[in-house]
Amino acid sequence: MSLRRVIASGVRSLFQRKREERELDEELRGFLEMAVGEKMKEGMSRKEAARAVRLERGSVGGAKESVREAGWEHLLETCWQDIRFGARMLRKNPGFTAVVVLTLALGIGANTAVFSVVNGVLLKPLPYRDPGRLLMLWESSLQGGTLGTVAPANFYDWREQSRSFEKMAAIDPYPDFIMNGVSEARRLAGAAVSQDFFSLLGTHMTAGRDFLPEEDRPGSNHVIILSYSTWQSYFGGRSDVVGKRLTLNNDAYTVVGVLPRDFSFVGKASDYHSRNHFDVWTPLALPHPPQAWQRGTHPLCIFAQLKPGVSLQQAQTDLNQVASNLQRLYPADDKERGITAVPLAEHVVADARVALFTLLATVGMVLLIACANIANLMLTRGATRQKEIAVRIALGASRARLARQLLTESVVLAGAGGVLGLAFVYLTVPTLVRHLPSDLPRAAEISVDWRVLLFTCALSMFTGVMFGVVPLHQSRRVSGNDSLKQGGWSVASDHSRLRSGLIVGQVAIALILLTGAGLMAKSLWKLMQVSAGFETEHVLTARLSLPPQYTNDYKFGTGQHRQISLFQRELLERVRQIPGVKSVAFTAYLPLSGTDNSWAFYIEGRPANPPGVYDVADYRPVSADYFETIGIPILRGRAFLPSDTEDNPLVVIINRAMEQIWWKQQDPVGQRVRFGDDDWRTIVGVVGDVHHEGLDVKPEPEMYVPYGQVPNVEARPTIVLRTSIEPESVTSALRQAVSEIDPNVPMDHAETMKEIVYGSVSQSRFRTAMLIIFALLAVFVASVGLYGVLSYSVSERTREFGIRMAIGASRGAILGSVLSKAVRLIVIGICLGLLGALLLTRLIASLLYGISPFDVITLASVSTLLAIVGLVASYMPARRAMRVDPVVALRYE
Amino acid sequence: MTDKPSDLVQGTLDMLILKTLALEPMHGYGISVRIEQMSKGVFHLNAGSLFVAFQRLQRAGLIKGEWKATDKNRRARYYSLTEQGRKRLESETREWGRQVAAIARILEAS
Repeated sequence: MSLRRVIASGVRSLFQRKREERELDEELRGFLEMAVGEKMKEGMSRKEAARAVRLERGSVGGAKESVREAGWEHLLETCWQDIRFGARMLRKNPGFTAVVVLTLALGIGANTAVFSVVNGVLLKPLPYRDPGRLLMLWESSLQGGTLGTVAPANFYDWREQSRSFEKMAAIDPYPDFIMNGVSEARRLAGAAVSQDFFSLLGTHMTAGRDFLPEEDRPGSNHVIILSYSTWQSYFGGRSDVVGKRLTLNNDAYTVVGVLPRDFSFVGKASDYHSRNHFDVWTPLALPHPPQAWQRGTHPLCIFAQLKPGVSLQQAQTDLNQVASNLQRLYPADDKERGITAVPLAEHVVADARVALFTLLATVGMVLLIACANIANLMLTRGATRQKEIAVRIALGASRARLARQLLTESVVLAGAGGVLGLAFVYLTVPTLVRHLPSDLPRAAEISVDWRVLLFTCALSMFTGVMFGVVPLHQSRRVSGNDSLKQGGWSVASDHSRLRSGLIVGQVAIALILLTGAGLMAKSLWKLMQVSAGFETEHVLTARLSLPPQYTNDYKFGTGQHRQISLFQRELLERVRQIPGVKSVAFTAYLPLSGTDNSWAFYIEGRPANPPGVYDVADYRPVSADYFETIGIPILRGRAFLPSDTEDNPLVVIINRAMEQIWWKQQDPVGQRVRFGDDDWRTIVGVVGDVHHEGLDVKPEPEMYVPYGQVPNVEARPTIVLRTSIEPESVTSALRQAVSEIDPNVPMDHAETMKEIVYGSVSQSRFRTAMLIIFALLAVFVASVGLYGVLSYSVSERTREFGIRMAIGASRGAILGSVLSKAVRLIVIGICLGLLGALLLTRLIASLLYGISPFDVITLASVSTLLAIVGLVASYMPARRAMRVDPVVALRYE
Repeated sequence: MTDKPSDLVQGTLDMLILKTLALEPMHGYGISVRIEQMSKGVFHLNAGSLFVAFQRLQRAGLIKGEWKATDKNRRARYYSLTEQGRKRLESETREWGRQVAAIARILEAS
C-alpha cells in the first residue's frame, strides 16, 4: 500500500467533500433499499422490513459517520473545527487574549532572537563546501599543550608527510597594503594565502579566477584577489577590474579575481591580529624548499581538509607520526613540538559556546515563568468554564475529545503569540546584531532563516502545550453532575495548590536568573577594578601604516633606518606642539589591541637550555617617552632616553613579571640579555606589569627595546598621546600632522585608551547586560504572577474576611493572613531557587572572573531583592483584603 | 456454530471482500449477500463496517468503484479488483492458509 496514494486520496476527499458525501449517501441508500426489497420479498410490510434492516444493517447516518471517521482527513477536519471554536472563544475574551498573546509574543520573540544568534554562530554549518571535513592544524607544546601558529617550514613538512588530508592550505594574516592613487592614503587589511586556500574552502570567484600554482612563488606573486566589499567600494563593482593593475605599497599588482558576496572568512579574531575581515588577498609565495629561518618564525594559520572517510582520530594519529619525525630531524626547533588538529567550527566558536547557551537557557527560563503566569490565568478562566465543560461531558463528549479541544485552544493562543513574536524578531534582530560584541565570531551569519522559523514554530507548540496542560488537568476533575449542581463560586479553591505550586516555581526560576545576573555583574565589576597597569584617562592612540620605503630592506645602521627615525622624530616633534598634548610616543604593540609578538632570549652567564627549550618573553619596541605617556611606572633604573640610538650602547627594559621569573635573587639592572642574532643588551630599568592580552589574563613577562635600536621595524606603529584636555579633541589635529609630514601614511583606529579598555571587556559586558535584562524581566513577570494569584485568592475569600471581621478580627490580622501566605510562597520559592542556583551556576563558572559561582554575598543580596519585590507585589492585594467592608462582603450573594 | 451471526476475525473482512470480487465486479449489497451466503449465515455485515472497508481498500488501490446500472435498472456503484488487489488476494490467501494450518496443529496437539 503506498502512503502517497493514501495521502493523495485523503487530500482529494477533503476538497471534494460535498461530492463524496452525496455519492456515499446515494450508495448507502441503494444498499439499504436493496436489503429492504429482499425482506419485502420474504413477505414483510415495507415498514417492518425497514425496521428490520435498520436493526441488522445500521442506518445511513451511522454508516456515514463510521466512514467519515475512518479516514485520516477526519482528524484534520475536527482539528479545524476546534481551531475555529477556539478562536471564537478567544475573541469573546479580548482582554484575556491580548494579555496572553502579548506575553507570549515577547517570550517567544526574545527566545527566537537569542536563538537566531545561537543558530548563526553555533548551529549553522560553516559557509564552505563540506564543512565537516575542515580542520585547523596548530603547533602544540608537548608540555603545556598550548596551541600556536605555525612555522612555514613545518607547513611544508606537514603537507608532504601527512596522509590524511585532501588539501592543506596556509594563511598569513599579517600583510597590510597601502593603496596609492586614491584621494587619501588607505590601508587595506591583507592576507597572504597558499594557492589552494580558496579551493580548499570550495569558494569560486564571482569574477576572474583563483590564484594559479605558479603565482604562489616568490617573484611572481604580485597578483591580488579582492573581497566583494573592496570591489564595491573602491571599484564600483565594475567587471573590468579583473586584469587591472593597482599600486599597493608602491608596487604594481594585478587583480585576478573577486570573491563572491557571500564569502565570509570564518575565524577567531584573536588568531588574526584582531581581524575578522580581509580586504585583499595575495599568494603566500614561500620560498621552496623551505629555508632554515622558516623554522624559527611562526606566523601561519593552517587549514586542512580531511580525505573522505578519514576520521579526526586517524588524522591526529597521522599527525603525531609526522610530529615525531620532525622532532627527530630538527631537534633545535621542534624537539618539544607536537601537532594538534581541531575541527574548524569547533575552534572558531568554542569560546562563545558557554556564553551563548547560557543566554539561551536564561531566556528560555523567562518564557517558562511567562508560561506559568498564563497557566494561572487559564486556571482562573477555567473556573468559569467548568460549567461549559460539564455540559459537554453530560452531552457525551469523550474526555479525550475535550482535552484535544482545550489543547487546540492553547496552541491557537501560542500560535498567535508566535506570529507576533516573529514580527518582534524581524524588528529586533538587526539591532541585536549591531550590539553584539565585535569579537564574537560569525556575527555576519546571523539571520532569520528556516532553522529559526522552525524553532519559533516548535517553541509556540511547546508553550501552547505547556500552559494548556494545566487547565486540562483541571477538566479531568470536572464530573458532569457536580459542576452543574453548584452555584458557580468556590469551585476553584481546590486548584489553589496548583496555583501556589506555579508561583513557587516562578519565584525559584527568577531567583536562579537573578543569581546568574548578579554573578555576572559582580565579576564584570571586579574585572573593571583590575588595574590595567597603565593610565586609561587622557590617553589617545592611533595606528599608522608606514609605506614600505620606511621599512623595506631594513639593515641595521643604514640610511633606511635613519629615514624612518626621521619620520617618527619629525611626527613626534610636530604632535608635541599640538595644544593640549602633554607627551607623545610610539609603540609597536599597544596593550589590549590584540597585537603581540614574542622572542626567545638568552641571559648572559647562565647555562644554556636543553635543545628545544627557550626562555621567551613578549617583545615591545617603544619610543623614548612611552612609559611616561601611557603611565607605566618605572620601578627601578631609568626610562628610555632620546639618546638610546644605534650609535650608543644597546639597552633593554624589562617588566616586573620578567624580573620575578628570571631574577629572583639578584638585581637585573646592569645584567645583559640577547635575542636572536642580536648583540648583547644591557638591562637599564624595570617597569610595572600591564595586562596586555586582556584584563582577565595575567601579565606576561615583557621586554621593551628603544625604537632607535630595534632589530626589526614594525610597519604599523601605534602613536600614543597624553593630553591635558579631552583626548578625542586632538584627533583631527593628529591626523593633520600625520598627513602634513607624509600624505601616504594612513592613520586609523583612533581611540582613547578608555575606549580600548572598555572594548576589551565587550563580551563580558554584553552577556552581563543581557542577563540582567532577562533576570529583571523574570522578576517582573513572576511578581505580576504573585500579584495575580493573591488578588484572586483575596477576591475569593472576601466573604470569609467579611465574616472574620464581623466577629472581631482586626484589620491587621487580615493583612497578616494574606501576607503570611505570600511570605510562605516566596520563602519556599527562594529556597528552591537557591538549590537550583547552586546546581546551575557551576556551569557558568568559566564566564566568571574573580568570584566563585557560590558567592555568598551575591546569593544573599539577590534573595533579599527578590523577597522585597515579592512582598511589594503581595502588599497591594493584602491591603485590599484589609479594607473589605464586612457589611458589603456579607451582603454579596 | 452458534445461531447468532459471529463477528469477523479482525482484518479478515478485507480479504473476504477481495475474494468475493475475484469472481466478478459487484455492488455493495451484492458483496454483503455473497459473503453471508458463502459463510452460510455465519457472518453478517452492517453497512458501517462494510463501507469503511470499501473506502480503505479503494485508498490502498486494491479495488476500484464505478457507477453502473443494475439488472433492475437502478444506479449502483460496482466494485472490481485491481491488478494489485488480485496480487494481494493471492498473498493473503496463502498466508491465511499457513496460519490456519499452524493454529489447527497447535489446537490438535493438545
